[in-house]
Amino acid sequence: MHTEAIDPPGITWLRVSPKYVTVRLAGWALGTLFLVAVLCLPLVLVLNGVWQTFPLWLAVAIPVVMLLLALWRLLLIPRQVRAIGYAEREDDLLIRRGIFFQRTLVVPYGRMQYVDIGAGPVERGLGLCTLKLHTASAGTSAEIPGLPAAEGARLREQLSARGEARLAGL
Amino acid sequence: MKPGAAPEASAGAEAGAPDGEWLRVHPASPFVRGWVALAAIAFFFFRDTFERVLQGGPLVDERLADRAPWLLLGGGGVLLLTVLGYVLSWYFTRYQVADGYVRLNTGFLFKQQRQARLDRVQAIDIVQPLLARIFGLAELKFEVADAGESAVRLAYLRMDEARLLRAAILARAAGAVQDQARPGEAAAEAPEHAVLTVPPRRLIGSLLLSEQSMFVVVGGVVSVVLSALTENRSFYLFLIPAVLGIVAAYWNSINRGYNFTAAISPDGIRLRYGLLDTQAQTLPPGRIQALRISQPPLWRIFGWYRIQVNVAGYGAAGNDGGGSSRTTLLPVGTFPDVLTMLSLVLPDPGTPDPVRIFRAGINGLAGPAGVPADPAAAAPADPGTDDGGFVTTPRRARLLAPLGWRRNGFTATGTALLIRSGRWWRHLVVVPHQRTQSMALEQGPLARRFRVVDLVLHTTAGPVSPRLVQAGLDEGRALLDAQAARARTARKRQTSEHWLDQVRALAADPNSGEAPSSTQAPSSTEEPNRQDDRQHG
Repeated sequence: MHTEAIDPPGITWLRVSPKYVTVRLAGWALGTLFLVAVLCLPLVLVLNGVWQTFPLWLAVAIPVVMLLLALWRLLLIPRQVRAIGYAEREDDLLIRRGIFFQRTLVVPYGRMQYVDIGAGPVERGLGLCTLKLHTASAGTSAEIPGLPAAEGARLREQLSARGEARLAGL
Repeated sequence: MKPGAAPEASAGAEAGAPDGEWLRVHPASPFVRGWVALAAIAFFFFRDTFERVLQGGPLVDERLADRAPWLLLGGGGVLLLTVLGYVLSWYFTRYQVADGYVRLNTGFLFKQQRQARLDRVQAIDIVQPLLARIFGLAELKFEVADAGESAVRLAYLRMDEARLLRAAILARAAGAVQDQARPGEAAAEAPEHAVLTVPPRRLIGSLLLSEQSMFVVVGGVVSVVLSALTENRSFYLFLIPAVLGIVAAYWNSINRGYNFTAAISPDGIRLRYGLLDTQAQTLPPGRIQALRISQPPLWRIFGWYRIQVNVAGYGAAGNDGGGSSRTTLLPVGTFPDVLTMLSLVLPDPGTPDPVRIFRAGINGLAGPAGVPADPAAAAPADPGTDDGGFVTTPRRARLLAPLGWRRNGFTATGTALLIRSGRWWRHLVVVPHQRTQSMALEQGPLARRFRVVDLVLHTTAGPVSPRLVQAGLDEGRALLDAQAARARTARKRQTSEHWLDQVRALAADPNSGEAPSSTQAPSSTEEPNRQDDRQHG
């Protein structure tokens, strides 16, 4: 399929750590396990003879279809992670993500109200962190996941300093 | 009024002039606020008597004699506790205006202190529910930029007191220099000039032709048809709650929209409205983050429009009772009314011919070829061919929006970005450049197929969520960059005093509001208090 980036031309994107794939895989595994387990419930009931009226083929088909969908999502994860990027320009920060559903976000430094750094258990184990930016708008869901901890700290300092310099009113 | 209120009132009338003095709200406040509880207690104890009297029985039941002491004791106890609670809550509610802050202390078991910085005030309302209005009381409610609940509510003050306090707060919010020797003068109310009113007839007409009415008619027809088909008479029973709900909704709209008046004063735009519960809102200049002009299909018959705004602190509509009315800048108005309001909100439209652009934004349609009509070639008087420089969805993507592709478009003036959409439900969203928070380009697989892209502008919470749909890929990319640059320069521009100039111009020529004047200097969008809220971001 022909794809064309939607971001403005002439930007060199900084990519997130490839180790972030592991984080996404862990999340995927947990989610899929839970979902398939729940969807297997009809199958178990049918096999035990508790739920006689439910057709066997459907009871098998539901978890299988879900599993296939999940596998497809699994194949996409490395590409999705590679698609995440950010770029610091002079006056704003650009964040992009997505392959099928692309999004390129521009956050002016002067609009940042605060910068968060968080890390889940898996991320912490791999030495990664997630950076979140907040503006006065709830719509700005600006998030850069999978940053190496040092890069995250550098970026936070950088953003705070630039935000301070360019702080604007509401 | 109670005599005890007098000294406090006069202290409040100076609106915190002697800084740091703690003041109390009006002693009647808890009773005005809590009259429902008192009424419930009264109802509970007198219901029996009422019913007996209605049935022709004696006023006092003879069997009551032995129960009377207990009843009286219980009733008196409850009443006493309630009143005591009210008195305590009044006693412990105190406010102070000092050092650029308003502080409010409440509660005697769970104490709460709130403080709000005056230079962060985004909007200030005076609310008068019916009962408060009877007693000449008013609630002062003001927002700092903090989506969600009102920052500080002072309920209730005497009306003139509330107005003086509002003037004082707004004067400080604007950073006006106070005459220390005569503080009362500094707090004087800013003069205001009424700009437009909405006649009741138009309000009722707009309600009859609103989307709500369309649903009512459709719902009515469907239920009649259903009941005829199923021959089920009891069907009507289910309609009773629906009808009650609809009547309540209409009543609410009339009660809130009645007598809508917009006025301009140095403090900002002042909106007054309400039939039984009146409200006076003040929006300081430059606090409007985004604005939407919309027109439901049936309003087109009379050429009516509605304007809604995002103001930081008002939050999303409907989280606070009167939410939707607070975010309404104009409940219903004609095209000249819309232009008047726009000229107040956007004193500098940033274009030499704003009327043409706004007309195109509200009513315009690109030519069937899909290429925006050449603005120079089209005669401004002819709205049919003039498209005001709007860049619409490219023709290749017309399958994505068969009706809307000639409408969906954007144009940028020197001070604001205009996004229009909707063939039937017409919308025009205006976002001032210096109010843009952040932006995003979004594209799904189908949109990529047609090489179009959506541009989303993020603003504070509210009814308006600006989104440019299906712009051409190249145009969208260029717009993202250009808009980022425009927002940047708009933020950097910091001037002052221009708001007052605008008011003076209006005062000199009240009709100048009919068309947003383009004679303003390009820098006149900035408000005097920009310096003060720099920290806020």
